[in-house]
Amino acid sequence: MQKVDDFSMELNFTEAYRKNKDKHIAIREARCHQAQFPAVLTEILENDRLAGRTVWGWVGFSPHNAPGGAAYGYFCHDQKIIEAIERGNIPMDQRDGVHEMLHFWKKETSKAKVEAAFTQKMLPILFRDEIVSLPYNFKPMIAQPIYRMAGVFVDYEKLLRLGIPGLIFEINDYMHKSEASGGDYQLYEGMLIALNVFIDSCSHYERQAIQKANAATDPKRKQELRKLAEVLGKNAVAKPGSFYEALQLSWLYTLICGSLELGRVDIYLGDFYCHDIDNGIITEEEALSLMHSYWRLINELFRDVDGRVIIGGRGRRNEKNADRFAFLVLETMRTYGRAILPQTTLRFYDGMNPELMEKSISLIGDGHTFPLLYNDDVLVPGVAQAHDVPTEVAEQYMPLGCGEIVIDHMGFGTPSGSLNVLKALDVTLRDGIDHISGKRLGLPTGDLKDFKTFDEFFSAFKKQLAFFIEILADHEDLEYVESGKQAPYLYLSMLYDDCLARGKAIFSGGIRYLGGSLESFGSVNAADSLTAIKKMVFDKKLISADRLVAALDNNFNGYAKEHKLLKECPKYGNDDHYADSIMVELHDFMCNNIRDQRERTNLDWYLNVLINNKQNTILGRWVGASADGRKAGREMANANTPAGGNDKKGVTALINSLVKPSHKIHAGTVQNMRFGRDFFTSDRENFEVILDTYFKKGGAQAMITVINRGDLEKALVEPEKHKDLFVRIGGFSSRYIDLPRDVQLEILSRVTY
Amino acid sequence: MSETAIVFDIQRASIHDGPGIRTTVFLKGCLLDCLWCHNPEAVSAKPQLFFHFDKCTQCGDCAKVCEEDVHHFIDGKHTIDFEKCSLCGKCVEACNYNALKIIGKELSIDEVMREVMADFDFYSNSGGGITLSGGEPLLQFSFSMELLQRCKEMGVSTCVETSGYVSEVHLWEILPVVDILLFDYKISRSDEHRNYTGVPNDSILRNLDIAYDTGIPIILRCPVVPGISDTEHHFKSIRALDEKYPNLKGIEILPYHNIGNNKRTSIGTHETLADLNSTSPEVAAQWLEQLKELGCVKARIG
Repeated sequence: MQKVDDFSMELNFTEAYRKNKDKHIAIREARCHQAQFPAVLTEILENDRLAGRTVWGWVGFSPHNAPGGAAYGYFCHDQKIIEAIERGNIPMDQRDGVHEMLHFWKKETSKAKVEAAFTQKMLPILFRDEIVSLPYNFKPMIAQPIYRMAGVFVDYEKLLRLGIPGLIFEINDYMHKSEASGGDYQLYEGMLIALNVFIDSCSHYERQAIQKANAATDPKRKQELRKLAEVLGKNAVAKPGSFYEALQLSWLYTLICGSLELGRVDIYLGDFYCHDIDNGIITEEEALSLMHSYWRLINELFRDVDGRVIIGGRGRRNEKNADRFAFLVLETMRTYGRAILPQTTLRFYDGMNPELMEKSISLIGDGHTFPLLYNDDVLVPGVAQAHDVPTEVAEQYMPLGCGEIVIDHMGFGTPSGSLNVLKALDVTLRDGIDHISGKRLGLPTGDLKDFKTFDEFFSAFKKQLAFFIEILADHEDLEYVESGKQAPYLYLSMLYDDCLARGKAIFSGGIRYLGGSLESFGSVNAADSLTAIKKMVFDKKLISADRLVAALDNNFNGYAKEHKLLKECPKYGNDDHYADSIMVELHDFMCNNIRDQRERTNLDWYLNVLINNKQNTILGRWVGASADGRKAGREMANANTPAGGNDKKGVTALINSLVKPSHKIHAGTVQNMRFGRDFFTSDRENFEVILDTYFKKGGAQAMITVINRGDLEKALVEPEKHKDLFVRIGGFSSRYIDLPRDVQLEILSRVTY
Repeated sequence: MSETAIVFDIQRASIHDGPGIRTTVFLKGCLLDCLWCHNPEAVSAKPQLFFHFDKCTQCGDCAKVCEEDVHHFIDGKHTIDFEKCSLCGKCVEACNYNALKIIGKELSIDEVMREVMADFDFYSNSGGGITLSGGEPLLQFSFSMELLQRCKEMGVSTCVETSGYVSEVHLWEILPVVDILLFDYKISRSDEHRNYTGVPNDSILRNLDIAYDTGIPIILRCPVVPGISDTEHHFKSIRALDEKYPNLKGIEILPYHNIGNNKRTSIGTHETLADLNSTSPEVAAQWLEQLKELGCVKARIG
């Protein structure tokens, strides 16, 4: 929905912030929430069975990029406001205020606060004062800061167990104790105000539902709206007593707390659902109808890279009920039809009800890009080691958005920086200079020709990577520190362990585990390039160092021989030891170096993630030709997947390569595998064996898509006829025809089985 | 001393040459020259030059390095005198566009085993293993024998795909290390068989008899080519074999695909069924239906 140029909410919000500027940050934030909610909550629409839609303001507070490109915390979307000023539709009486507001936030947004605190070391490396909206990125950079507090998984179980009144009761108790002992009781006071804002929002929707019920002519709809009003009314005054009330409460809380993830729905909704079904309180049909509304809201309000609904897996206290709800989720997917969201995720382990996996595979075979498959038998011990947490905590791991792993309501770990690994290799060939811009981007470690051995060269590359990793780790640390100084993130703090007990806010020492992650891109191309450099320049000496760099500088034009030799070098993804061992060495170095950053910072963990989204294509645009034969500006391989078309030996060899890099030292990798439709029909038995063998061999995760090349080619020619074609780009699904052409071609270039 | 063989391809994750997930090893050399052959580059027992027309940019680099005068550029067309080629490989190296390659490489048992064993986990989970194909694998008998023995020792299940036009003694000797035999049945009348494949089928049928009598599981593989073997007579012959050999493990029809034609010109031979298009899935389904109506319940599309 397009926001009109009425800035009353933003002006009220700014006023609330200003008025409370010198008050306790919890009070200030609570007053800001009061200005924001229910003002940004929009109407219940025609088919909604659940209340809760938003159109965020251009100024506001949210942990995670509420309106796209607005950063996080206290945000102000300069660009959108300026566009509104230029349109000239802002009401007269608001104009001066809007100008002033724009100036005010320049130094007050959470992002500005972090940037103002940049260290000398960060200043020349990380860009500031700009957020370039995707898919545009105009700067060739190696390390890029990311501004968001992504991956909010609040304690839904507690929320539903206590309800809002119970939560108020508990916080009130803490407040009195804190006040009596001279503690920071105002943190709790802020929470209580925030909960009242939540109650007001329930009542706001309750009134709206009643009005709409009165106005409705269709008796069925009238009845539905009355029921909805009743549910909302209950949410305001009591803990949920039914599946409907639980679903409504969890949805509205998700929306208001600014989370974009739904979490382990089968645990927190399973008992309610089973109770209501078993006692005849709700029919399957009615439950499905509510779930469809839930699905629709997630699809309409969340962005493609978010919206994780997680089912299955270890660590479910109510496994039987949870399984039953998981089937409802799969049934919802099937009957709702192919959709971009939610990113339904199936966690599984040896011993879980096999029917969940079977049903999931059938859905994938029918062209759904979900569920994403996560192997708990590998990931639980992996997370325990990588995140350094006990097994029972690791059992509560949560893949967020594109696949970064955090811990349900115990551990936060927003990815706050990305590293272009291939670009770092690019400058290592040239003494730290970026040959595209002519500027120094890396350390002066010498030119390729200066290195006597491949190991010396690899060491120089590692030195470059370590330099950027340190800066990004420090940036993550700084982002939390500055965020904590500015706001307690009340809705998160009240439902994250152990903030209430410690009397501290989430980013100020309250949360049990405060971690982080670094998104690395281009590792596979970098590894293949290293392999080619090792083989051609150092081992076989078929291409001199100068000649290689000249070939890359010229994008292989006039260097056809070199291009051929480089392309023919071994590549990761073919179960080839020469290539795979370099990939493993790079992976180990990256992951371990990143993981060691926790010794230097206040972070409980800081881990590499090899996830995918569109960044492999976007960042690749500013990387020159690479020694693996990739041409200048072309996409880089996605996540941990071989570069397009390089896995030539079939799916078994691909899998053998994929399982080589360790899963105990990172916070998530993504393995894309695409299979032709036959694998889900006539060859299904073999397909299941392939998948099963992959997981038994240590495969952690799989994103499986069924697509045939013909479909994609036809879609390029006649996009309007192929609107139903969804592809997963790894971290998320997208309508194929809506993607930029080069992303479309990149997908097309990947091998289809 | 370990045997070597001329191998023209090793295809991993193969799911259509026997049960489960398999690695198919293709050996060069076949005594038949079937008109519809999918792998004409496998007929000759020796390595040979292979030319991808589409990839050639007419740069002429190949001609510059060739000492045998194999490559010619006449009127903007690259022609190749395959007869003269000594397989020195210089042109392959010189070509920057991968338009030239040498088909067939001498590999040792160890080299092949290394590749085969890499997918062991997939075989044991799926009931798959190695499939020896070709060409005609039994022509490189010592190699095939030793390779299959090694596989059996390592617990890898074995399939052999044969034209049946092989030495009785070799067939007899190799069967103990073969778990499933994939036996081709191409044309029913012996004279027609000779016309289309170059050899009669009497000894092939005798070998089928020999193999069947040992009790080894056999899957009959029947390439069906429109206008040649899609006849009622042939289908009835398939059914007759089905009745004669009630313990056949399966009957697979392999619908014609014209992929072999392009490859013929790439190795300097003439196209054979130039005008024949690949079989559509609908037609293949009709054939299957016909066979089933004749009583071939085991038949399926391979």
